[in-house]
Amino acid sequence: MAELVVRMGEIAATQHAGDVLVGLGLGSCIGLVLIEDRGPVAAMAHVVLPESNGKAGAAGKFADTAVPQLIREVTSIGATRSRLSAVLVGGAQMFATAGRLDIGHRNEQAVRDALQANRISVRAAATGGSTGRTMRVYLERCSITCKEAGREEIEIAVWGGLAQMARAA
Amino acid sequence: MNLNDLQLDALREMSNIGSGNAATALASMLGQSVDLHVPTALVLELADAVDAVGNPEDTVSAVIIGVFGDLDATVLLLFDPESANALCALLGVEGDPEMALSALGEIGNILGSSYIQAMGTMTNLHMEPHPPIAMADMLGAIVASVLAVAAADTDLALLLDSKMTVDGTACKFGFLYVPSGAGVALLLDRLGLGEAA
Repeated sequence: MAELVVRMGEIAATQHAGDVLVGLGLGSCIGLVLIEDRGPVAAMAHVVLPESNGKAGAAGKFADTAVPQLIREVTSIGATRSRLSAVLVGGAQMFATAGRLDIGHRNEQAVRDALQANRISVRAAATGGSTGRTMRVYLERCSITCKEAGREEIEIAVWGGLAQMARAA
Repeated sequence: MNLNDLQLDALREMSNIGSGNAATALASMLGQSVDLHVPTALVLELADAVDAVGNPEDTVSAVIIGVFGDLDATVLLLFDPESANALCALLGVEGDPEMALSALGEIGNILGSSYIQAMGTMTNLHMEPHPPIAMADMLGAIVASVLAVAAADTDLALLLDSKMTVDGTACKFGFLYVPSGAGVALLLDRLGLGEAA
């Protein structure tokens, strides 16, 4: 099993059943995952800020540039564009009283806007609040989890018709 | 942001003077000497920056102080649980998590304002701290959220890191100063080393 840790501004895509995509300690950042609803193909971006305003930067850094790049990467490894949906984790207001530092909410809004502009629906989200979260995407069982500091890891989404049938059996 | 060795040295020295001032203030408050380790100045890719500070999933206690004025920056103190407990024991507030965070916030206030004051005097820049915010959460969530603000215009982050130890205790903590991209240029300008090479 390979853990692919997606750090600030990075994007990773995989279709290998043994892989786990990981966003560690997401605060105001957003772990944005696109999945293909039939099975184990997924990509994750670690989005840091809402808008690029035309600035160059790592592809996953800004919500408006991360979404199209995620779509390119996940379709290039076999996902069908029309079968994509999204899962979001993060976007917390880590520093509630510091105006300038308060970008979690803006990040979430920008990610949702960019998804809508690209006609991708949000399947599940664990966002807002004021605590950090870790997100894991298990390709093998087509399952996405979220864990807050000092808490249990909880499943927030499953996908993939075949994987779900196997679970039910 | 592409800094040469001379510029990094100057920033490190500035940080050294600031944290020296901060350590002195903390020592007189605690009545205990405070050991200051040689500070580091690191220019890192955003993706590498969190790991350079620590394990992103570790739970830490942190004090965050936004700094405004002529330039935007953030002062960040990070305590592992053992160090936070040791410091709170020293202050007589162990056992109560709310009180402990509030005490750490006060420590942060003293350290942060004396650091900023020394730095402002040295560079002749107006710098003013916001009230401190104290919290316990994942290191990655805290550090990345601070870096996000600093890194709007650049994929590189400058971290000025000073480590301090309170003598005779298990209390060791990290003291980070994270200026915005534009702030780095202004600081260098005032140190006579502007126009990043």
